[in-house]
Amino acid sequence: MRRALANPSLVIGVAIVATIVLLALLAPHVATHGIAQMDMRNRFALPSAEHWLGTDNFGRDLWSRMVAGARISLAIALAATAGAAAIGTAVGLAAGYFGGWVDLILMRITDIFLGFPAIVLALALVAVLGPGVTNVALSLVVVFWTEYARVVRAATLVLREQTYVAAARALGASPARILVREILPNAAGPIIVLASLGLGTAVIAESALAFLGFGLPPPAPTWGWTLAYGTGFMREAPWLSIVSGAAIMLTVLGFNLLGDGLRDLLDPRQLTRASGATRKT
Amino acid sequence: MLAYTIRRLLLLVPMGAGMVVVTFGLLLLIPGDPAALMLGQEAPAEAIAALRRSLGLDDPWHLRLGRYFLALVQGDMGMSLFQSQPVATIIWGRLGATVELAVAALLLASAIGISLGVVAAMRQGSWVDTLAMLFAQLGVSMPVYWLALLLMLGFAVHLGWLPAVGRGAPMSEALWAALRGRPEMLVQSLSYLVLPAFALAMNAAAVISRLVRASMLEVLREDFVRTARAKGLRRPRVVVRHALRNALLPVLSVIGLRFGALLGGAVLTESIFAWPGLGQLTIAAISQRDLPLIQGIVLTFAIVFALVNLVVDLLYAAVDPRVRLE
Amino acid sequence: MTTLSRLTGATALALLLGLSGPATAQTSPALTIGMDVDAGTLDPRLARDTTAFRTADLIYSGLVQLTPELQAVPELAESWEAPDATTLVFTLREGLTFSDGSPLTADDVVFTFKSILNPDFAAPMRALYAPIAAVEAVDARTVKFTLAAPYAPVLSYLDIGIVPKALVEAGHDLAANPVGAGPMRLVEWNRGAAIVLEPNPAYWGGAPAVGRLTLQIIANNNARAQALEAGDLDLIQSPLSPQDIARLAADSRFQNTIMPGLGVTYLNFNTRDPLLADPAMRRAFAMLVDQETIVNEIYQGVDAVATGVILPSSWAYSADISQPGFDPEGAAAAFEALGWRDSNGDGIRDRDGRKLAVTLATHTEDPNRVQTIEYLQAVMQQAGVEASVRLTDWPGFSTNYVQKSEHQIALLGWLNIVDPDRMLYGQLTTGGPLNWGGYSNAEVDAALTAGRTALDIPARTEAYRRAAAVLAEEVPYFIVSYQGYQMFAKADLPVKPTASPRGYLRGAIMAPAN
Repeated sequence: MRRALANPSLVIGVAIVATIVLLALLAPHVATHGIAQMDMRNRFALPSAEHWLGTDNFGRDLWSRMVAGARISLAIALAATAGAAAIGTAVGLAAGYFGGWVDLILMRITDIFLGFPAIVLALALVAVLGPGVTNVALSLVVVFWTEYARVVRAATLVLREQTYVAAARALGASPARILVREILPNAAGPIIVLASLGLGTAVIAESALAFLGFGLPPPAPTWGWTLAYGTGFMREAPWLSIVSGAAIMLTVLGFNLLGDGLRDLLDPRQLTRASGATRKT
Repeated sequence: MLAYTIRRLLLLVPMGAGMVVVTFGLLLLIPGDPAALMLGQEAPAEAIAALRRSLGLDDPWHLRLGRYFLALVQGDMGMSLFQSQPVATIIWGRLGATVELAVAALLLASAIGISLGVVAAMRQGSWVDTLAMLFAQLGVSMPVYWLALLLMLGFAVHLGWLPAVGRGAPMSEALWAALRGRPEMLVQSLSYLVLPAFALAMNAAAVISRLVRASMLEVLREDFVRTARAKGLRRPRVVVRHALRNALLPVLSVIGLRFGALLGGAVLTESIFAWPGLGQLTIAAISQRDLPLIQGIVLTFAIVFALVNLVVDLLYAAVDPRVRLE
Repeated sequence: MTTLSRLTGATALALLLGLSGPATAQTSPALTIGMDVDAGTLDPRLARDTTAFRTADLIYSGLVQLTPELQAVPELAESWEAPDATTLVFTLREGLTFSDGSPLTADDVVFTFKSILNPDFAAPMRALYAPIAAVEAVDARTVKFTLAAPYAPVLSYLDIGIVPKALVEAGHDLAANPVGAGPMRLVEWNRGAAIVLEPNPAYWGGAPAVGRLTLQIIANNNARAQALEAGDLDLIQSPLSPQDIARLAADSRFQNTIMPGLGVTYLNFNTRDPLLADPAMRRAFAMLVDQETIVNEIYQGVDAVATGVILPSSWAYSADISQPGFDPEGAAAAFEALGWRDSNGDGIRDRDGRKLAVTLATHTEDPNRVQTIEYLQAVMQQAGVEASVRLTDWPGFSTNYVQKSEHQIALLGWLNIVDPDRMLYGQLTTGGPLNWGGYSNAEVDAALTAGRTALDIPARTEAYRRAAAVLAEEVPYFIVSYQGYQMFAKADLPVKPTASPRGYLRGAIMAPAN
């Protein structure tokens, strides 16, 4: 605990993430206006006591839409990251532990998905699946799971040679049991670190999709939409793109600081070693 | 090493084939009929159906995929549906622009990242360090398209120092002209390159600076640096000759890993700055459902990505004798 | 970067590539125009995107040329006559040649139209020419068109570029290396980036005032406006963002032309949908379209509030015909009369236990349409309609949804309405090839057929007004706005640009500034 508090990245990261999560959870209570409440006579109003962050191109309250947008961004990021981590971890564990042709096939599949530029793959997937929270999250899962697979595989390669794993095996434990009880807990560090960094990446990816026109349909108040709209009004209402861009940046910053802090806290060398090892296969 | 290279190149075959299959599957499912798009809104249904037949779009999927692979092994990526040119010609014409942008961004990112990382490591804990790391954190947190728009608004529109969009003469031609005493073309080409390259470089610069700082700190603590210092070598020399050289190794590997991200970032950056490269072409091809062109681009991305990683791994092995290629 | 240094760069590039234009290229001024998309082809018969049409119009010439007022005037044809209702005979000018020096004769004209009419050639605009039954060369300078039935709009479509028969038959690829008889010829085509043109010395109409024309492709509307402001471009035109238009119009560094265009933005109602089959229901929805706010706030007054299916600039327009206007109370009353009431107090109307729900759709490429749909959704929601939005890119919206008649209410547009026939006949006659909403009305069918076959303007006018009146009442289409056309150019341009509502560029290159 003391080590955690002495780690400024972790402290600041937790503070930022906690604030945003809290705002997202309390969105209906901290919002001052309805998210779809238009006022076409009051478009692009400057920040005021009535509208803390001003209004958007429909005269809607930007503050209320930003806190409501936090919910969507966080939900998508969380779902995408959890899904990617789960699939990637399963693949990485299997490939690393069983080796041989299992490893060969799983890693070639990983290579295939790694070869696509992330945004192109995500965009094509959303086009196929259609827009919507679940579909956007699902697309990001397909894009992001490879990273976990590689890191977890590398960690598993090291861990399976450990004496306690050999001992468990000697005692007749099934591979599933060994993977879940012995290897997974010891590989959890890198997964957690990757996931907290991945949350930030997912927030950016979701906004980039919206920017390219593959986001959620209106009236969903996503940050990416506000930013995409905002770029069209950069001179009339620069705060639209500045506020939404800053919200994205701050959230990502929070997750990144959290990830860095966790990395220092858990084991400063483990992740570098693990990711270094994957490269050399 | 030759055997290793050949093995790695052979691995490219299943990877590329797999990517073609995945792309093909996605394109089968993606809504939007290329034939109807080719003929436009005013085309009657019979004309669309006729074009679909003549393009072979109504054939069963395994036939189409088989046909594609058969042509591919003969080196034929097909014809673009919308540009009436061979896919290979189109991609080759765009590749230069993207490579130019990516290389410029990597150079810029390395220059910024390494100098920031070195300075931060040498003044660990000082305000310089804090500032450099704050920059690094902001750099990775910033959406690349947001940065691109802010840069364009600031430097091109408000200040008018640089062109907002487009590309000058290709860098190879501009450099050649400059060598023959005509530098104005180079200046022009560079003026177009600066903003997109910077927007694209930011993220990688941040990653590199953090990495350089971390590995510098590690190396500075190691024995041979202490020995060198004890031998009375002056500090900057120690840093450059010993610490930096060792610290650059992980940077090399990150450059390889980041290259894919860089290509992805180029998709957005090129769209915003109207940079006529592969990224912009990708968006255009998807928005037109130009199936053969999309396939070709994906394949190109795969090859570039795999080759860059191979080169990085070979370099890594060449520089660091501790690394053994399996 | 100024135009001067850009020119130097371009010249240096030309020198480096070993290209050299005629002497005029060095002395006449250069012009750089911003375009929104790259041309897909430079074969006029296959053109389908705006840049292809606009560039082909410079490189090729047609039998006629359309003035900005859409009058057909002689171009390659010096005159024409109509001996009867289904025959048109054109006489070509003397001594016409293509830019490669080969002569242009009646054979080339016949070849051009025969290839367009050939179904296997898959010309995108074939439907416009379908009523042409035969094209024959009477002699080297005379071409005879025979129509299957009287077809009044045909003259408006005969401005399509004539291609060289001999060259094409020898396997020359016009799509990439165009050869035409227009005022300009291709120097260089840097795909995705720029098309560079220079004067065609063989053009019958004399040398243009521009020595070198660069069509620079910048897809993003905002970026194109910024490039004009930064001095990278000399001239830009629609499509532009409304907020950019307002700003540029107020900037004294630029001259502008803002005028009505040839397009409409409209709501396509699927009349086969059970909810929308009743005209009264369509009228109720139409009464919820706040055109004033959409046009003035979202489109910033660049487009104009529409009253019906005929463009105000058309000879067929009548101010007396008017579709339903914005009237939320009227809409509420209409819904009530049809049995849609909010019986359970949830804010949404219902009938027989079913909610009044409708899907509004458009495509993501046009931010103004996205905003319009988002605004419509909010207004409908307030009126007790559960409106959901379907938003995808153009392919997913057009070919896979509206064109398959899967929509309920879709927001889209028609362009290039050079004749009322072009946005009505295929679209709203029973079983018409573009009748995606499945509309059918015998009176409208009769009027639209009369409009296409009547040969004098008063008779056509009467027919279209008859159709427009019924359509305004039945609203299979609700026309939201008449699109505006805008052109902005540097104030000190070396040429005096004349805008055309189609965005064609001959007016920008032909006349010197003084």
